[in-house]
Amino acid sequence: MKEAIIYNLKELVEDLAASDDLKREWEDFLVNLADAFSSEDKDERIKELFKNLLDFADADALIRGIELLNSRIGGFPFIEMLKFAVEALDGIRKEKETRLRELNDILAELATPIIRIWQDILLVPLIGTLDSHRAQNMAEKLLERTASTRAKIVIVDVTGVPMIDTIVGGFLIEMFNAIKLLGSDVILTGIKPEIAHTLVKLGVDFNMVIIKRDLESALKYAIGIAPDKSDRKHGRKRGDGDEE
Amino acid sequence: MIEVNPQDYDIVLKIKDESDIAVSRQMAKNFAQKMNFSLADVTKIATAVSELARNIYRYAKEGYIYIREKEAGPEKAITIEILACDEGPGIENVELAVSGGYTTSERSLGLGLAGIRRLMDSFHIESEVGKGTAVIVEKRRHAY
Repeated sequence: MKEAIIYNLKELVEDLAASDDLKREWEDFLVNLADAFSSEDKDERIKELFKNLLDFADADALIRGIELLNSRIGGFPFIEMLKFAVEALDGIRKEKETRLRELNDILAELATPIIRIWQDILLVPLIGTLDSHRAQNMAEKLLERTASTRAKIVIVDVTGVPMIDTIVGGFLIEMFNAIKLLGSDVILTGIKPEIAHTLVKLGVDFNMVIIKRDLESALKYAIGIAPDKSDRKHGRKRGDGDEE
Repeated sequence: MIEVNPQDYDIVLKIKDESDIAVSRQMAKNFAQKMNFSLADVTKIATAVSELARNIYRYAKEGYIYIREKEAGPEKAITIEILACDEGPGIENVELAVSGGYTTSERSLGLGLAGIRRLMDSFHIESEVGKGTAVIVEKRRHAY
């Protein structure tokens, strides 16, 4: 077995792959495979080899490779090899799943920040997709914060939201109404033209809130309608006149 | 109900989790972009797919969304076709559900189906209580 591979190594590699890089990888694989057959922890090592091989070869190439080896080498343990290949694939799949779960966790950690951008004014930049879990979390946090800071105005910026469907719209409407019940005003900004069109078609109406073109005009407007006491005192002292 | 052959479609999406909604929307968006739809239409298509996926997840728990490119009408306009089907509870009064402002779910505006109809160029729905629901929508690409 080992000899059969080593003797025919050049020839086999030539048939297995076309490009030089791939040839080198297959050669490494075959040499290590031949070596692994006689070792003690054969199963583990072969599985590891297949895993490495799958980093550069797809399933198609692998199957073709194993079939070729089977036809060229007498007594090639075809079924056993396939078993290893399947196990290696399963291992890769599990790794990917773990990674996906981790990424999801990271995404969840990117919770929405609530920024006190001016006295009595909170800014909430919404970014990404809002699923029901995240929406719920955010609404709770925002209401809590609005109440505890006694903010008069909450600016919600949706520049980073790629799409608003009826669910996200419905959630926003719910949240806006709740904020209004706390006695605060809401300014909505950052609706892109294509989203505006979609919202009108869907019949989602944000008529309960003030809408401004962008964050800049929202902030200007908010500061204008919420002149806070300390600023006014300050202004008079400096003799700037009454800002109202 | 509608017979579906998955091989006829360019994209087949299984909806089972809430995260599948975002995935299907993203896939639809990319597909529509590749088909050279305008930005406004891409957003509309993505929104419609999102609504359809949401309906499947919310009411039927599980179902499929199929997307394909085709040519429609005598002028052979390039069209995206989206088929959403499930074997869920079905809709009792289809006309009412499509008319807008009607919902059986608490946290919903009841605008979804009516909205989808307005977002797309054509809209077809079949539903049978206890058997499931199938919605087919199309959007034509407008010549620039």
